[in-house]
Amino acid sequence: MILDANDVENGACVTADVCVVGAGAAGIAIALSLLDSGVDVLVLESGGLEDSRETQSLYAGTVEDPAMHSPPDRYRQRRLGGSTTIWGGRCMPFDPIDFEARDYEAFSGWPIGLAELAPFYPQANVLCEAGRFAYTAREAFPDGGRPMIAGFEGQAFSTDTLERFSCPTDFGSRYRARLSSSRTVRVMCHANVTAMKLDAAGRRIEELEVKTLPGKCFRVHARRIVLAVGGLESVRLLLNSPGASGRGLGNGHDVVGRYYMCHLAGTIGTLVFRDGVAVNHGYELSPDGVYCRRRFALREPAQQALRAGNFVARLHHPRMTDPAHRTGILSLLYLARFMIPYEYGKRLHGGEPIRLRSAVAHLRNVLADAGGIVAFLWHWFRDRTLAARKFPSVIIHPRRPRYSLDFHAEQEPNPQSRVTLGAERDPLGLRRLHVDWRYSSQDVHTVQASLAALADDIRASGAGSFQFEQDEVEREMLRYGAYGGHHIGTVRMGTDPRTSVVDTDCRVHEVDNLYVAGSAVFPTSSQANPTLTIVALALRLASHLRAVTVDRAGNTAESPVQKGA
Amino acid sequence: MKMKSRILILGATGYVGRSLVARLARSDWAQPVAGVRRAADFGDVPTVRCEATDATALGAALRDVDGVVSCVAGPASVMAAHAEALARALAATQAPPRLVFLSSMAVYGDAVGLVDEAWPLSGEGDYGQAKVAAENTLAGVEDAVVLRPGCIFGPKSPQWTERIARLLVARRLGDLGAMGDGCSNLVFVDDVTAAIEAALRRPRDAASRAFNLAMPDAPRWNDYFMAFGEQLGAVPVPRIPGWRMRMETRLLAPPLKVLEIVAARLGRRGGVPPPIPPSLLRLWGQDIRLDVSKATHGLGVRWTPLDEGLRRAAAV
Repeated sequence: MILDANDVENGACVTADVCVVGAGAAGIAIALSLLDSGVDVLVLESGGLEDSRETQSLYAGTVEDPAMHSPPDRYRQRRLGGSTTIWGGRCMPFDPIDFEARDYEAFSGWPIGLAELAPFYPQANVLCEAGRFAYTAREAFPDGGRPMIAGFEGQAFSTDTLERFSCPTDFGSRYRARLSSSRTVRVMCHANVTAMKLDAAGRRIEELEVKTLPGKCFRVHARRIVLAVGGLESVRLLLNSPGASGRGLGNGHDVVGRYYMCHLAGTIGTLVFRDGVAVNHGYELSPDGVYCRRRFALREPAQQALRAGNFVARLHHPRMTDPAHRTGILSLLYLARFMIPYEYGKRLHGGEPIRLRSAVAHLRNVLADAGGIVAFLWHWFRDRTLAARKFPSVIIHPRRPRYSLDFHAEQEPNPQSRVTLGAERDPLGLRRLHVDWRYSSQDVHTVQASLAALADDIRASGAGSFQFEQDEVEREMLRYGAYGGHHIGTVRMGTDPRTSVVDTDCRVHEVDNLYVAGSAVFPTSSQANPTLTIVALALRLASHLRAVTVDRAGNTAESPVQKGA
Repeated sequence: MKMKSRILILGATGYVGRSLVARLARSDWAQPVAGVRRAADFGDVPTVRCEATDATALGAALRDVDGVVSCVAGPASVMAAHAEALARALAATQAPPRLVFLSSMAVYGDAVGLVDEAWPLSGEGDYGQAKVAAENTLAGVEDAVVLRPGCIFGPKSPQWTERIARLLVARRLGDLGAMGDGCSNLVFVDDVTAAIEAALRRPRDAASRAFNLAMPDAPRWNDYFMAFGEQLGAVPVPRIPGWRMRMETRLLAPPLKVLEIVAARLGRRGGVPPPIPPSLLRLWGQDIRLDVSKATHGLGVRWTPLDEGLRRAAAV
């Protein structure tokens, strides 16, 4: 059922077997997984069913360098469904190498391997509505699908792996009916956790303090608590409670908030294909109706040989800002950029001011390519606006076989890249976040080495050429700062409490009944967008919670906590 | 040689009725007798003509039978009248035979979650309420078993195989998102007839009268549409947006229903595209999951999984 925290009496005590804080991708995946399991689940969600500026402002914070990182209230949504209400839907699993300790990537290596996550990926794919768990062209298409570049067979790069696209699914609206009709899961909206209080022994969370913006305050007693609030907010909640060390919950060794990773991304270079080389850089629909796209993926042996992190790249349209592309729709999008949401526009148009000369040139493109614009707008209206499964992104088929390259790479864990508490407090009394995202020379090397290897592969295949300036890589990689929306590694998983915050069950080392779900616990970032793995890891955590909460007879008898609100 | 039991099947021309007649005809213990309204060809199987709403005719048909199965379908008024007539006929019969009454999960109305046989009967819409009324009417029949199947699919199943196939091939159906999130409670037709057979042969047990019938872990409707669509080659299976379904149920369904009725009267059933009425869309989104543990253990039904059911349905 779905409840409102403002309907709870002041000072009341709400109880549950498991309390999940946050109803985004991870929190909802856990709640759905525990439906009908016999476990009494309470999900606390700060937001409501709709967007609210007042609630969203609780995410506000500061950044060390605004050029390097977006404001903390961007790319995140504080409402039922969390940031799945605005995500792009790109899904792909982590690769085996992502879990390995690599001597060229500092602090790399997970305490679990891909085999631990593999059983949960297919169900995660289903919840994300990305169809079948088939991430190679051979698995996804009966005929193997069309090649990305005819005749390309790279030594360093493969084009056989796919990214699959969610609708993109807003977990809040998509699964609201299931949550509403549940007899064992209660989702309480407008409930903000403001403190996590330990028992006398300092080993268990005894009580959560919950407040609403209109002023209600009550308590929650739960046997187990899961923070599923994202990679930034997890840090804020942990550090705003003193914990046994006085330095923040789980922060006895000053690890919480460190190793903060996003992804390294940018658009660079020029790819020119020989005339007659068939290039397929768009999407194909799999038999189960899911948009799939091939990309260049750096093979694992190549990563090891280059001593580079994980890396993928896609063929991309020319830079929108430069009218030399002579493509009407790109110019139109550039001129109408105020209509594109911040989270997507930033990397499309860069937010630079439009100069008169440039505007005239763009306008000329629009007028000269009116037919192309009409065709694109019809496609967009039909396949994006009217469609429930949205065409994932702008795909431009250039008149000449020239493309730029859009890359997305792993960032090395770095203890100096960190999220801390700032001095300001929000209206509920919690200190706000301060973000100091940093990158390393290894990150630049990853992108430089990968791009060079790709240029070699393209040349060797005879399909064309890829040219880029090595000296430009760092600037392009940082043109828009850290990749928005991927908040990774701040509450990292490990076996040593001195270098990690949670154990292999996602349980905080210092606290017996506190768990963290989401990309906060990822020790490394992979090349992959995080949502699918967030959901898979959340399902794994739900499986653990079920196992430790329900006995063999199906009872939750260990509980000293009374049932019901 | 042991005499076979004579089993009267009322509504024998319907989908389940025909399947049951064929099953019992193959058995070594039963001699089916097809109860029909009009003359119908059942090969070697004897038929008896009787109006299902006529207690006197039913009473005559019940003579000399060892069991009676009611698979009568039709408008709500017909189902209600049939139940009353059957109850009267059984009451008037000396040593009345075992009755197996085919009810429906529709008796649970808009219930959601895991629903067992003890769930209160509320019925939704004419069909559901007629089934509840029929069950109540027959409550006084001492030796009766009530079966409440979910959605019966199988070879030539008009409702849940053929209609769905036509909609999938026409791309009017596919992945419905939250609108198709309900549990399908599909049950393969042979499992229904197996349950009927078991219900006819089981010892009398007043304490255990009603049984839900559906495959355990039945797929959600979306999963059914996806699997069936792929099997039919209707790929890529589309995602149908909400506005399309609203258009289907509000704008297209009424005229298509009228055309369907007209076509049926003209004897051209099947020529008209199937309508998707609002009730169907409601069902696809209703997350009711039948608890079938009682039928599994009490009737010993071995449920046909979805893949096998689809394969066998397509083989026809």
